[in-house]
Amino acid sequence: MGSTSASDKHPVGVIGAGSFGTAVANLLAENGEVLFYSRRQEAVDIINKERINNGQTIHPNIRATSDLQEITNNCYLLFPSVSSDSFRQVMQGMAPFLRPDHMMIHCTKGFDIKLEPGKTILDKDIILKPSDIYTMSKVILEETCVKRVGCMSGPNLAREIANQHPAATVIASKFEEVIREGESAIRSKRLQVYSNHDIYAVELAGVLKNSMALAAGALGGLGYGQNAMAFLITRGLGEIIRLATAMGADRQAFLGLAGIGDLVATCTSPMSRNYTVGARLAKGETLQQIIDTSSEVAEGIKTVSISKKLADSTGIKLPIIQYIYKALFEGLNVEEALRYLMEYRWGYDADYM
Amino acid sequence: MLKSVIPRIKDWPINLIAQKRDKILQETISEAVLEFNKAHPTLSQLRDQLQKTLYLEHIRLRSEAWEVDPEDEKEFWGKVKKRLLQADPAHMDEDISKEQHQELLQDIMSRYANEIIGHFEPNMFWFARQLLVRVFARLFNSHFGGFKGIFNPQEKLKDKLIVAGPVEKLRNLSLKGTVILVPTHFSNLDSAIIGFGMDYIGMPAFQYGAGLNLFNSKIFSFFAGNLGAYKLDRRKKNPIYLETLKSYSKTNVLAGAHTIFFPGGTRSRAGNIETELKLGLLGTVMEAQRIHFEKNPANLAPKIFVVPLTISYHFVLEASSLIEDQLRRTGKEQYLVYDKPQTAGKGIWKFFWETFSKSTDITLSLSEPMDVFGNSLDEDGNSIDKLGNPVEIRSYFVNKGQLKADDQREMIYTQMLGDKIIEGFFKNNVVYSSHVVSFVAFELLKKKLDYPDLFTLMRTSDEDREIDWDTFKTSVKRVIDELYVLNNKEQIKLSPHMTTKELDEIIELGITNVCIYHTNLPILRTKEGNITSEDLKLLYYYHNRLIGYGLHKCI
Repeated sequence: MGSTSASDKHPVGVIGAGSFGTAVANLLAENGEVLFYSRRQEAVDIINKERINNGQTIHPNIRATSDLQEITNNCYLLFPSVSSDSFRQVMQGMAPFLRPDHMMIHCTKGFDIKLEPGKTILDKDIILKPSDIYTMSKVILEETCVKRVGCMSGPNLAREIANQHPAATVIASKFEEVIREGESAIRSKRLQVYSNHDIYAVELAGVLKNSMALAAGALGGLGYGQNAMAFLITRGLGEIIRLATAMGADRQAFLGLAGIGDLVATCTSPMSRNYTVGARLAKGETLQQIIDTSSEVAEGIKTVSISKKLADSTGIKLPIIQYIYKALFEGLNVEEALRYLMEYRWGYDADYM
Repeated sequence: MLKSVIPRIKDWPINLIAQKRDKILQETISEAVLEFNKAHPTLSQLRDQLQKTLYLEHIRLRSEAWEVDPEDEKEFWGKVKKRLLQADPAHMDEDISKEQHQELLQDIMSRYANEIIGHFEPNMFWFARQLLVRVFARLFNSHFGGFKGIFNPQEKLKDKLIVAGPVEKLRNLSLKGTVILVPTHFSNLDSAIIGFGMDYIGMPAFQYGAGLNLFNSKIFSFFAGNLGAYKLDRRKKNPIYLETLKSYSKTNVLAGAHTIFFPGGTRSRAGNIETELKLGLLGTVMEAQRIHFEKNPANLAPKIFVVPLTISYHFVLEASSLIEDQLRRTGKEQYLVYDKPQTAGKGIWKFFWETFSKSTDITLSLSEPMDVFGNSLDEDGNSIDKLGNPVEIRSYFVNKGQLKADDQREMIYTQMLGDKIIEGFFKNNVVYSSHVVSFVAFELLKKKLDYPDLFTLMRTSDEDREIDWDTFKTSVKRVIDELYVLNNKEQIKLSPHMTTKELDEIIELGITNVCIYHTNLPILRTKEGNITSEDLKLLYYYHNRLIGYGLHKCI
C-alpha cells in the first residue's frame, strides 16, 4: 500500500447506485473523493442533497452525477457495480468515453450470456457450453478498450458493510498494478483486502455459489439445522469446484474468501433473495408463484439453470444442482428432492481436490 | 505476382539494417548485459548464472556437437572456466571480481550475438528469387507439357500458392510501421514457403529465425544465411543465451525489421493448430512498442503491427516423425513402437514435386492486422476500437499520466496478445477436404472402438479399422454442414474446393491429397468401398488439424 494511491489526487469512480454500489462508494470515500454514477438524475439529486441512498448514509467525500463522461474524464480507477443483466449495455454506453489508461474493478457477481432473441436462460431447451458464458471482466474486454481489469468479490453482504461491520474481500486481477491500485483505494480499518491473480476463478466462485444459497434456503425452510447446512456447504463447494474446473478454471481460489468464504456467508444469511426463494419453495410455493410476487428474478434461479445446462453439456455429475433444478423447474417436491440426495451414492469425501 | 511495395531491394528495411550490422551487434550486447544485470543484480547471482551456463555448455559440447559449431568452441569454454575460477570473489577484492564477471558476461554475450546475427545480400535475394521461379516453371513444364509452363509459370503458381486475407492492407502497413508476422508452424518448409508467398505479394523481405541445425547443410547455410535468416540454437537453453537472443530480436524490431516469429516455438508435433504459445520473443515486441513511445512524441512513435498467419497444407512432409515424437512424449511407457516408423526422408524435392505438379495447393491465410494490444487498425495503421473510434495505445503503458515500464503488466499484455493470435489462427484456418476426411475417419474409429486411451486405439488390428462407407459419408456431410455454420459465424474458413464441389468429389479429393506423399496411407477405400487406414498415427495427426471447433459433436 503506497501513498500514491489513485485516490490521492484523482477521484475514484463508482458506476451503479444499487445497494452494493453504494456500500462500495462509502468504503472508497474513506480514503478519498468518489464520483458516483447513477443514470437517473432524480437519484443523483437525492444522493447529493439528502445524502442517503438505499437506506445508506452517503459519505461526505461522495458526489453523485448522471454524466458518465464526467466520471471517465476525472477518474483513472472505476468500480462498475451494475447488475449482470445490464452490464454489457452499460459498458457499451461507456465505451466511447473510456481510454486505455483506465482501470476497472467490477463488483458484479453474475454472468452475461448471449442468447438468441426471445430466449431466456430459464428456457428448458437451451444448450449451454462453457464458451457461451461471459464473466463481467470478459464483457469489459470485449466491449471497451480497457485492458487493465479486475474484480472485487468475497463475503461482502451490502447490509453488513453499510452497518460498518468488519469484513474481508478479494481483489482479483491478472495485473499486479490493478490489485495495487484497488487495494490502496478501498482498504480501510473495516475492510481487509486480499489479492488473487486468478480473476476467472474468483468471478466464477462469486456466481456459482448462488445455487447453493437457494438450496440452503430450502433446508432452512424445511426446518433443518446446522448438520444439514454443513453437509450442503461442503458438498456444494465440491460441485462448484467440479463445474468451475470443467469451465476451465483452477481450483485454488475456491478455498479462499471469494470461494468458501462467500459460500458460507450466503448460505447462512436468511435475508438474501436466494435464500428466501429456497425457503418459499420448501414451504410448497411454485417457482411461478415466487417469480410473480418478486420484484426481480433471484440470481440463484438463473445460476441453477445455467449450472444444470453446463453440467449437461460437459457431462459432469452435480447431484445437488440436478435436484434443485428438478425442484425449481420440474415440480419435484423439495422433501422428495432431499430424499433423493440422501439416497445418492456419494463415495469418497473430499474428491474435488 | 504483385508489384513490390518498395521497388528496389536495396531500399528494403532488412537491407538497411544489414548495413548497420556493427551497430545492431553493439546494441544487442549492451542491451542484453543491461537486462541481465537487472534480473541478477548481485555478484553471487551473476556468478551462479555464469556457472550454470558454463555447466550447460559443457554438457552440450559433450553430448550434442554439430558440424556448424565453431572450431574454437571447446577452447572458448575452457577459458571461461579458467577465468571464472580466477575471478572467485573469495580470493580477491570484490570490486575487481565484479569487474571480471562483467567482462566474462560481455564476452559470452558477444560470442552468442555474433553467432545469432543474420545477413542480407540483395543480389543473393534477387538470384534466389529467379532460381525459385525457374524451379517452379520446370515443375509445371514437366506436368503440363510444352513451353507454356516455362513462359507463364506465375499463372499456375497463383492457383498453387494462395495468399488469402487482407493482402493490400498488409502491403500498406509495411510502409507505415514494423510488421511482425506470426504464423502457425507445421513444417520446416514453412519459412521458405512464407518467404516466397510474401515476396509473391510484393512485401519486402522478412527477418526470421532458422534453427542452427539447418545451417549444418552447406546449401541451406549459403542461401538462408544471406537472405535474412538469423540463427536460433535450440540446444542452448542457458539464461545468458536466451537473454542475448531476446535482446537481438528487440534491437531488430526497434530498428524496424519486418520479422517472422513462430510463436508456437517449434513445429506442431500433433498436427493441431497451436493453442499454447512461447511468449518470450513476443514479449520483446511489446517491449519494443513501449520503448518507441518512450523515445518519441506520441504522434511520431513508430508502430508495430502483428499479423497472424495460418498455413494450410493437404499433407505435411514430416508428419510421420512429428506424430511419432508427440506420441512418445505424451504416451511414455504406454507407447510401444511395433513397426519401425516410416522415415520422412523422401526429401524436399518430392514435396515440391507432389505439391506443384499434382492437384494440390498451399494456402497462407492472413488474419486482420492488429496492434500489439490486439486492437484493429484502419488503412493507415491507426488503432481503432469496435466502433471505429481511435484508441491511443500509448496510454496502455501509462499509469496516472506517467509512462513507464512495468514488466508484470507487459507480461499480461503479451499473454493477451497471444490469445488474440490464437484466435486469429483458428478463425482464418482454411479447411481442406483432406482435413475433413481425416477428422471424420479418426473420430468414427474412436467412437466405434471406444477404447479408453489413444494408445490402445493405435494398436487396433487392420480388420477392426474399417468404417462403413455410408456412415462415413453421412458424417462427412454433417461435419461440412457444421463447418458452413462456423464459416457464417466467421470462426473458420473454407477452401474454394470445399464450396464448389459435390460431396463425393470432396471426399475423393481429400483422400487422394492426404495420401499423395505417404507410403503407408493414412486413409483409403477398401475393395468393398469402405474406409480404412494403414497408418492410424498419421490419420490422427491429420485429424488434429480440426480439433478445437467442437466438430466431434457431429460424429
